[in-house]
Amino acid sequence: MLRYIIRRLLLLPLVMVGVTFLLFLLTQRLSPEMRASLYVRDARQMGALEEVISQYGLRDPVLKQYGRWMKNVIKGDLGYSPSANMPVAKAIKEYLPATIQLAVVTMLLVVFFGVWFGASSAVHKDKWQDTLVRLVSVGGFSLPIFVLGLLLLMVFYGKLGWFSPGGYSFQTDLIIHGVSFKTYTGFLLIDSLLNGQFRVFVDVLSHLVLPAVTLCIGSFALMVRVMRSSMLEELNKEYVRSARAKGLYERQVIYKHAGKNAIIPVITLASIQFIRLLGGTVIVETIFDYPGIGRFGVLAAQQLDIAGILGFSLMVAVLFVVGNLLSDILYTAVDPRIRLE
Amino acid sequence: MSVSPILEVRNLQISFVEQNRNRLVLRGLSYSLEKGRVLAVVGESGSGKTVHALGLLSLLPAAARISGGEVRYKGQNLLACSAEQLRQIRGAKIAMIFQDPSASLNPVLTVGQQLIETLRAHESISKEEAARKAIELLDKVGIPNPEKRLDEYPFQFSGGMCQRVMIAMALALKPDILIADEPTTALDVTIQAQILRLMKDLQQEYGMAVIFITHNLALAAAIADDVLVLYGGLCMEQAPAEKLFTHPLHPYTQGLLGSLVSVSRKTEHLPAIPGNPPIAGEPLPGCPFAPRCSQATEKCSQKLPPLFAKGSCYVRCWLEEPHGSTH
Repeated sequence: MLRYIIRRLLLLPLVMVGVTFLLFLLTQRLSPEMRASLYVRDARQMGALEEVISQYGLRDPVLKQYGRWMKNVIKGDLGYSPSANMPVAKAIKEYLPATIQLAVVTMLLVVFFGVWFGASSAVHKDKWQDTLVRLVSVGGFSLPIFVLGLLLLMVFYGKLGWFSPGGYSFQTDLIIHGVSFKTYTGFLLIDSLLNGQFRVFVDVLSHLVLPAVTLCIGSFALMVRVMRSSMLEELNKEYVRSARAKGLYERQVIYKHAGKNAIIPVITLASIQFIRLLGGTVIVETIFDYPGIGRFGVLAAQQLDIAGILGFSLMVAVLFVVGNLLSDILYTAVDPRIRLE
Repeated sequence: MSVSPILEVRNLQISFVEQNRNRLVLRGLSYSLEKGRVLAVVGESGSGKTVHALGLLSLLPAAARISGGEVRYKGQNLLACSAEQLRQIRGAKIAMIFQDPSASLNPVLTVGQQLIETLRAHESISKEEAARKAIELLDKVGIPNPEKRLDEYPFQFSGGMCQRVMIAMALALKPDILIADEPTTALDVTIQAQILRLMKDLQQEYGMAVIFITHNLALAAAIADDVLVLYGGLCMEQAPAEKLFTHPLHPYTQGLLGSLVSVSRKTEHLPAIPGNPPIAGEPLPGCPFAPRCSQATEKCSQKLPPLFAKGSCYVRCWLEEPHGSTH
């Protein structure tokens, strides 16, 4: 197990180099002037562009430029992001927790309801419960995320005024940037409670609800289907029959015996979706103006903020490798037949 | 000898519902089982033997329905029981073991967990006590090093060892009846003999009645007191084992015995019954065996013979019709 983890982590640098080098090659399609322009306050100023270009060696061969960037990355310096107006590393530290927070809340909802509804849909196959769950999941699956997001905004923000999009309230901003507010985890949901700031907690939560629900629906639809078909398959297996023959209670047969086997494919799906949420809640964060890492990535891309784009991609690559590793480890906990070697 | 039977099956009928069509696969089976006796139910695939066994405990797949009859355990009709009554009988009073032992155990639960939950579903005992009992049971069925094996998963056991675990689980609550559905079919021949020996020993020790379902006549001969031959969802012959094997009455039983391969007797070709067994659920008007029977008359393919009593035997064949009877 330990050897497996080490071997997988050794692969990490390879993936990182692979992803960033490809992106780096793409950025070279831009002229050095364009790449420099973001760092220059007034491009009309004579020689300003040329100064930046020579200072950062933007006319050097690709490999040399890439090597320089990599060397800085190893030192922990991801460069400066003009689009976020701060160093890339700091931007990630600032925006990633909000996205993780959103992804965790979303996944908790998705897994909980997905497993529950999927399992009961399978148990009541072809009855009204099943029909209802399947209808909702097909509906959720076919509704594009941006349509759903805008719809929710229209109803709950526009008409009912229950939730607020955009940034946190002025008071919240004051409190969390105040001196007395201590950062424990970087996750505002947790930190606000640890600081005893209940109103901040409520404000943060209310900003989380609509994006989380929007993200949920599509993932939920997929989760329900996987859980349902997996459960149906398990319920037909022989060990379920022998569990019944032993005189176990029906809920033991369904949840302990079939359920524990049926959940294995759900873990795969959930971990893939979780990682995707971490790197790619781009649309939802943009719609709800949620201060997360996806919005940072979009802004960086829109403004050709190369340091930002590279830093963002690097982060996503690392998350993918580590996330997949974690899901592999999770497997061994659920399925004893899997041994990591 | 008039012992009241522990299990009485009366006219049990089971059908599969397929595209709004009922296919009757068990066409009315009746027998009674006395305490401590071993009844072998012998038949080819599709004869209805496994379906009958699942029907006894209402474990049939969703597509199958019990369309008639009674299964009386100590006078109580199991087919009319509530789900909870049935649950209390399953595993505790009537236990069952299956054909594929590795598939019959849950792959993600330890052998110990599966034994313990069985005990605790029927008795209010602590986990520790159940674990202690589980170790005893594993020891009893001949699993070496039971304390250690308790925490292992089914995939760490061989097929024969899995079947021993299944037997331990079935015997955990000292049931009155054990239903064994082809318990050795999936195992190597040497392991088969061991498992059979174990079942026979435990059956005698516990005084259980056993319903032993098999397609293998030699196994039936080795273990059974009585034999019931199923064909096309019908009982063809039922007789005490020694009678059936020495004087089979039904041409089908004769054919089955004739096609047993003997190692000592070298033959040019393997003896077999010509033709194929009937398609389950598509009954012929007459005797289901008539198309393959060398002694069949016209009557055989037109009219289904009833079970004729002949001493301690029953046989469903017009050739055995008592003289002077008017059917």
